[in-house]
Amino acid sequence: MGLILISHSGPLVDGLRDMVVQVAGDDVPVATAGGTEDGRLGTSAPRISAAIRSALDAGADDALVLLDLGSAALSLEVALEDFDEAQRARVHVSEAPLVEGAILAAVQASIGASIDDVIAAAQGAASMAKIPRA
Amino acid sequence: MSEVHLVVTDPSGLHARPAARFVQAASRFTSRIVIRQDGREADAKSLIAILGLTVRPSSQITLAAEGPDADAAITALEAELAPYVGHVG
Repeated sequence: MGLILISHSGPLVDGLRDMVVQVAGDDVPVATAGGTEDGRLGTSAPRISAAIRSALDAGADDALVLLDLGSAALSLEVALEDFDEAQRARVHVSEAPLVEGAILAAVQASIGASIDDVIAAAQGAASMAKIPRA
Repeated sequence: MSEVHLVVTDPSGLHARPAARFVQAASRFTSRIVIRQDGREADAKSLIAILGLTVRPSSQITLAAEGPDADAAITALEAELAPYVGHVG
């Protein structure tokens, strides 16, 4: 499976990809779509579409999309219109927080877990404590 | 059933990178493998479970495996954790 990271900021998803690869290794392909086509902060449906296509074309059975906030979801919705029903069925969209979700999903994917387990791992990030309680 | 008792010596505890390596190593075995700390137990093949255990410096942990390759799993995972832990007692 492949991961697709969507953010309003290109440097943000580039840095997140670096973190994902360092923690989970490079067995799980990570595509990114950050910022607008002219390099501003924002999201771009064509760039998201291209990232999804690269993940599906790379041979991934499934792709898990993680996104930041606001209009990212709207741009994703537009981007998904570029795909037929069979392709869309392979694209799973996570509600998980972007950073933690990406890392947890990538590690679970790296051990060959099922797409359902990978989705659940990402989703678990939403309720994971950041600061250990004594 | 095979198990080993360890104490965490790394000043950062068991943080994300080593925890991820540990999960990847554990997944190569068919045995059920857990880390226990303070009566709580985490599936060694789930990063979120391991991070949720919040293994801190000086914590005592038990690594336990049950299954056909339990002994090999404990040996391999103990080696994986070696830079971060010492033996108890």
